[in-house]
Amino acid sequence: MTLATRWRATAALGRALMLAGLGIGGAVLMGEPVGLVLVAPLVVFAALGLAARPTRTPSARADIDHVSLHEGQGTTSRLRLTDAEDAEQITRVVAEARYVATHPADGRVSGFVADGLPILEISPRRWGRRTLGHERVALTTRWAGYRWGPATLPGLEMHVLPGPTAYTSRAETPQPKGLVGAHRSARQGAGTEFAGIREFQPGDRLRRINWRISSRTQRLHATTTRAEEDAGMLLVIDAVADHGRSGGVDGAASSLDLSVRAAAALAEHAVRRGDRIALRVVGGSGRQLRFGSGWVHLRRLLLALSGIHSGVEGHRALATHARVPLRATEGTTVVLLTPMLTEAIATVAATTARRGLPTLVIDTLPAEAEPAFPDDTDPELADLAWRMRKVEREQVLAGLSALGCPVVAWRGPGTLDEVLHRLARRAQLPQVRIR
Amino acid sequence: MSGVEWPVSQLVARLLMFVGPLAGMVAAASAGVPPPGWLVALVLALAVGWALLPESLLGTTCLALVLAWWGLADLTELPAASLVAALGLLVAHVAALVAAYGPPELAVDAPTARLWLVRGATLFVAAPVVWLLAVLLEGQPEPPGVWIAAMVAIVVAAVIAAVAFGASEEEPVGDA
Repeated sequence: MTLATRWRATAALGRALMLAGLGIGGAVLMGEPVGLVLVAPLVVFAALGLAARPTRTPSARADIDHVSLHEGQGTTSRLRLTDAEDAEQITRVVAEARYVATHPADGRVSGFVADGLPILEISPRRWGRRTLGHERVALTTRWAGYRWGPATLPGLEMHVLPGPTAYTSRAETPQPKGLVGAHRSARQGAGTEFAGIREFQPGDRLRRINWRISSRTQRLHATTTRAEEDAGMLLVIDAVADHGRSGGVDGAASSLDLSVRAAAALAEHAVRRGDRIALRVVGGSGRQLRFGSGWVHLRRLLLALSGIHSGVEGHRALATHARVPLRATEGTTVVLLTPMLTEAIATVAATTARRGLPTLVIDTLPAEAEPAFPDDTDPELADLAWRMRKVEREQVLAGLSALGCPVVAWRGPGTLDEVLHRLARRAQLPQVRIR
Repeated sequence: MSGVEWPVSQLVARLLMFVGPLAGMVAAASAGVPPPGWLVALVLALAVGWALLPESLLGTTCLALVLAWWGLADLTELPAASLVAALGLLVAHVAALVAAYGPPELAVDAPTARLWLVRGATLFVAAPVVWLLAVLLEGQPEPPGVWIAAMVAIVVAAVIAAVAFGASEEEPVGDA
């Protein structure tokens, strides 16, 4: 945004002029030269200040080099001035903003315009939509005679994506149902994973003939392989409430921090493997993102994650409809990222597991999470209520595990390996599915 | 203003704003015209206020009192101590304008401090020149109409200054 204001005489120029007038007038009226001696430097100062009177009105615009970046990364805030040739000195003061670090730390810089406009380094410390603090800019002419501003520039908005979290997994996807991908399928097809050797059938490729077995048995045999398919993963984020305190990328993580960062890591891993990925936010914005694959889709998903905020609007709708339409089809692995303090989320998990979809819950409740109570609440009563709530939560988690919906705490790389292996083994067994 | 942490450079600038007027009063005492205690106390009180609010009229009032005391003093000759007073006024004035470049939490950077040190030294040259001229011309017969010409020159300069100054009020950059 560009902002224009006008030049005004500084207090220093006004002071010099008043004292000069007083000193010279007094000296002339009283015939005493001492007043002249005292104000002589100020007379020169005032004359030089007036001589540097600006003729053009500048305008200022603040820009940042990157509007979208990951938490913890840094960018630069630059000021663009036009018609500022009369200015000698510039001062920039940026107001403090939550989860935004600046360098210099106090957000104040000053310098000569001729040396290049001073820059501010900015680093968002937490994912989300961040608004930088408003900025005040002042320009001063040579000899500090006139000042432009301070003009207030509104804070700029940034999309801060969840930080790049290292995540890898060697686990196979439980039920891949796609076209072409990297996962071993249950059916046979043109893959690389050995499935067996059988008699040659019309349609088999000649390069699949196993000559050693064929010569031994005097009948043509062919080697069969498992097909390789892509898989789908639906990430369901519980944004009904944010539990715990967020200290930004370097500090403690709240439940929503853990959920969003884990979702980003899982999504990136899935995209790297060529899988399809979808997002459903329960509560808050209630944002949905359809299945897609590729880096463009990942970018879209990360932007959607950065727009998540906690809230109960979606949760009310959830309670009304009793079930969340997840639109998860066969072959999709459903990953719920939740602190599991909402009954409706547990219902979602149980329903999805009963449908036969591989479902797993990533528990994102921080160990140090404390509930927020009104000030007039009895602390003992609050503590008792919180403990009861946690006992209930443990029962819900145990119930989900019993339903075949594993619950794991997020711990980065390898978090899902074991449970995905278990789910993959279970997927080989015949199941009764509720549709 | 509570909770504000001022950098050392800002503290030094504001200390100079306090010391400058004080030097002017001390110089007057050394020249044989010691100011009364109440005037010194008033000047110091104004200087403290000015150090806290460098853009306020307290500074003008404070320096004007020092100037007025020197102007009203019954001096038989132009003392060299008036140069000390001129230096005090200039130092306080320059320190105030440097301090007012930004909010009190903004440190005065070294290039700015150096620039105004040089500029201040250059400006101060005017004081000894005027003092020397005044000492040399002391006792000389006055040309006819010199005072009228001086008054006319002052009025013209004041009109030009008023036009250039403009009538707008100034808004401080920082809180102080």
